[in-house]
Amino acid sequence: MTKAKRIDREAGRAYWMMSLPAFLVYLLVMAFPIALSVVLSVSNYSGGKMFGGEAWGFAGFGQYARIVQDPWFWNALKNNFYIVLISVFGQLPLGFIFAYIIYRRIVKWPGFWQGILYLPNIISIIVVGLLWQSIFSPNGPIAELVNLSARHQFEIKLVAVLGSQGHLNLGDDALSRIIALGGPQAANMFTNPVPELRDLIAGYQPNQYSQLLNDLTNLFVTRWTPDFLNQKNVAMLPVLFVILWMYTGMYLILFLANMQKIDTQIIESARIDGANEAQVMRHIILPALSGTIVNSAILAISGSLSSFALIFALTGGGPSRITEILSIYMYNNAFLGRPNFPLANAIALITVVISMLLILVTKAFESRYGGKEE
Amino acid sequence: MKKVIIALLMVAGTFGAMAQVTLNVLNYQQADQAGYQEDVQIWQDFQTQNPDIKLNMEVLFNDPYHQKLQAYAAAGTLPDVFYLWPGARSAVIHEKHLAKDLGKLLGADYLKDFTGAATNPNNQLGKYLAELPQSFTYTAVMYVNVKLLKDNGFAVPKTYADLKKMVPKLKSKGIAVMMLPDKDGWPGQSCLFSTVAGRMAGDAFFDNVLAGKAKFTDKPFVDSLKVVEDLFKDGIIQRTDTAVGYGDGPGIFAQGKAAIYLDGDWRTGAYITDKASGKALIAPADQSNYALMNIVALPGEKFPGVASAVAGTGWAISNSLPAGSDKEKAAVKLIKYLYSPEVQAIRYGTGAYVPTRKGVKATLEPLPAMLPPFYAANPKTCYVLDGVLDPSVYNVINNGIINIGNGTQTAAQVAADVQAAFVTWQATKK
Amino acid sequence: MVEESRVTTAFGRFSGHVAKGLAYLVMVVFAIMTIYPLFWLAMSSFKSTREYQLNMLGLPKTWVFDNFKMAWDFGEFGKLFPNSIIYTAGTTLGVILLSVLAGFAFAKIPSRATKWIYGSFVIGILLTLNSLMIPLFIEVNVLGIYNTRFAVLLVYIGAGLPIGIYLATEYIKAIPTALIESARIDGAGYFRIFRRIVLPMSIPVATTLAILNITGTWNEFALINILVSKTDLKSLPLGIYKFSGSLSTDYGKQFAALTIGMAPMILFYVVFRKQITKGVAAGAVKG
Repeated sequence: MTKAKRIDREAGRAYWMMSLPAFLVYLLVMAFPIALSVVLSVSNYSGGKMFGGEAWGFAGFGQYARIVQDPWFWNALKNNFYIVLISVFGQLPLGFIFAYIIYRRIVKWPGFWQGILYLPNIISIIVVGLLWQSIFSPNGPIAELVNLSARHQFEIKLVAVLGSQGHLNLGDDALSRIIALGGPQAANMFTNPVPELRDLIAGYQPNQYSQLLNDLTNLFVTRWTPDFLNQKNVAMLPVLFVILWMYTGMYLILFLANMQKIDTQIIESARIDGANEAQVMRHIILPALSGTIVNSAILAISGSLSSFALIFALTGGGPSRITEILSIYMYNNAFLGRPNFPLANAIALITVVISMLLILVTKAFESRYGGKEE
Repeated sequence: MKKVIIALLMVAGTFGAMAQVTLNVLNYQQADQAGYQEDVQIWQDFQTQNPDIKLNMEVLFNDPYHQKLQAYAAAGTLPDVFYLWPGARSAVIHEKHLAKDLGKLLGADYLKDFTGAATNPNNQLGKYLAELPQSFTYTAVMYVNVKLLKDNGFAVPKTYADLKKMVPKLKSKGIAVMMLPDKDGWPGQSCLFSTVAGRMAGDAFFDNVLAGKAKFTDKPFVDSLKVVEDLFKDGIIQRTDTAVGYGDGPGIFAQGKAAIYLDGDWRTGAYITDKASGKALIAPADQSNYALMNIVALPGEKFPGVASAVAGTGWAISNSLPAGSDKEKAAVKLIKYLYSPEVQAIRYGTGAYVPTRKGVKATLEPLPAMLPPFYAANPKTCYVLDGVLDPSVYNVINNGIINIGNGTQTAAQVAADVQAAFVTWQATKK
Repeated sequence: MVEESRVTTAFGRFSGHVAKGLAYLVMVVFAIMTIYPLFWLAMSSFKSTREYQLNMLGLPKTWVFDNFKMAWDFGEFGKLFPNSIIYTAGTTLGVILLSVLAGFAFAKIPSRATKWIYGSFVIGILLTLNSLMIPLFIEVNVLGIYNTRFAVLLVYIGAGLPIGIYLATEYIKAIPTALIESARIDGAGYFRIFRRIVLPMSIPVATTLAILNITGTWNEFALINILVSKTDLKSLPLGIYKFSGSLSTDYGKQFAALTIGMAPMILFYVVFRKQITKGVAAGAVKG
């Protein structure tokens, strides 16, 4: 046998011995479930023992049609899209900037900042969800602060109507104006607004003026709600912010690790030659990291589309499904009460297809603009 | 002679050795729930009393529990004895008959010790006794802070008008008239709306809807939603309640920030003394300042005095146990132990629920002790909507109530959404 | 030696100080958002549940210490801790080993099969195991490995392989082929080359994979819930989950449990942070 052939044989053997373990594990863990998932998505399986129970079979692509026609699917998709945007154009640049700042020693105590910024990644999602809910609850600290200020503003207006201290004999006009201060809904609290309000105020002694102010404020001021979480187009913002906070650190570490791979000599000589920071960034660091950036984008995209636990813990997809994402949309169909596995798996597959498209786009982007590693 | 000895030995063998039976059990318990320690003890005691039955216990709660149950059902490996919901939450078990019919298995003689509501097969999704409800829960109870009302010059409310009268005075003191923490969606439907719907529309209406003879957009249902609309509009329930989590409710109520708190009868457990720490949210001495009441009379109600109630959860036996086998016998033994007066008394004592088993006695703090009289005073029940409607429909109701609370939808709009969801669901059933 | 200098960003003409100030601002905000929750969590675990419900965000008025012991006992954390360590360490090592091994094969040994096999791994990156839970459960039952540590490790490693192989392959592709060629000419077999050349040079990507897998595995609870039912095999997150029901009446124990769950991760990171950066820097020295 020629030396070449022997090397080839050895190469072939090595190739298979090295790749087979991973491939086998992968097949076992992924291949069967995926295949079953695809099969289920076009079946009429309706629960109960899957193999050996009631017979079920092919039922057509109806599930996919149903999904595409469901406005809630597009709602979920839109939310996922926001997450992709914040991940790729938020976490990545921010992580990069942080890494750059730490790497180039632009801030003091790099070790501390590196640690602190990565820490959110380690915090259990259950904790984040719990804390989030208490901070944004109508009885939480933000509400208290906002309400304090709102009450203060309101009292000023109230005093303007009530007049000077002790002068509690009010005419109908003044009473109506007080009620109006509470907004259009305020009158609903009474059956006969003006007389009832008069009776209410009559119950206060002149020396209880500040108490009266306080109580009227209680009655009429509009309490702050985490309302912005209810508006359709704004509801995702707080969620996006939390996502940014939680995951930027991971990209920071990734970028930093790869920046430290760069030969400092090159940067030194560039600086000696008169290059400023921006030029160092553009001509040395960015190109060296382009591979990492692409990988991170891929990680970010796949993470965005499959993320589940964090948003589930923060909002559960609510209120009223406004912040629902694809994985929650799928979860609600797969596990609550009566499972609809065909539908759930169809959603899962559509999610995969969308991820694939996005990643192909990313790869195309890379081949156009990147790849100048060495 | 040898044959005789062998025969004797064989006979002796069957009498002497009882075969070791292993049972897989799926329990529903949470380490931070009231009664956790007692629950652990209950199971340990069974093992000690029955050394020939080995229990492989798995204890889960909430989402992990439901997910696992689905997984077991799909793989056909359901545990031998498991905790079960009577309705849509465990739909797959009922519809695919994955649990044995306890009505037949336990027999009328055993079941006569339980209330009729518990043994009525119509109260479960599959119309047979897949599980034996340990309780029959009233899901919409007004927890009334009588003292707080009295201090502000009000008597206990009997009608909607009474509630409305309280608004200006209480609100000016920073007290909400009624509290309903509805962030999770289901409390609004379960702890308020089901009774409202029962009063304004009635069970027969919903039967008609399911039979296709009525629609959610018909007047009775819309009127029911209008009541909810009014409760928010009139300031009886604060709009900010749609953002309050279910777990936060008791704390707020115990602080006196609301005069009335809407929740199910199971919530008494949140207020009583926690055995582990010895602390109570409302001290036993103060509990008599509170009262449990049915929801007030509503304007225009057609079925006065009904209260929404549903069969509670309980234990089921997997259908895969061969009839008459040792395993089945062991499972029945376990079930009978779990439902025994002694065990039910322990559970009763932890404030978990009022047992459907008749004649169970336990020492109770004042608040949970109010439950049996409450039941007796409100015998007429109506549907709990998430027990009779499909999740894809009642979830729309849940969300709709939140939207009404936020003012982003009207009663009519929500009714339309619910009807649309119902129509979609019907289409998929074919 | 890097001296401090003005930073002229490519996007604008801020003076260095403004940009630096901005950077500090964002970092400080993030830092507060990080430290306060942890601080709050630790504080809350010293409150009794009743106090928590009445005083959610302040310091404890009475300090309760038995939350921790009770959480540990009720949650049977003594059994769960070793499991978590086994699963996390096992998964991380497994993923790194298999990924770098296969990555070398895909990157440096020419073969027509690579396109297909490697491609199938890349597709795996897009999948969530969340959606594959029921099929996995059925498969694990059919194979008879339900309720075994083996199944958990297998599934976890399998879940980590797509990203692992992708990153490893890309990384190894960047190793100069000349190095390998010359070793081959000197008569070394591929495994020898792997051990002597590729593996040491792969420490940076191995570190990356370690970071990804350790944080991913330690906090995982959905999958393992499906794969095991025996308490002896469960991991820490499942124990913690026992304390976080929506009908929860005991926040005190819940927070104690959460604190116990997070402490190891934080400790690990604090202790190994230097190692991690060192490991990465080691790869910077090109032999």
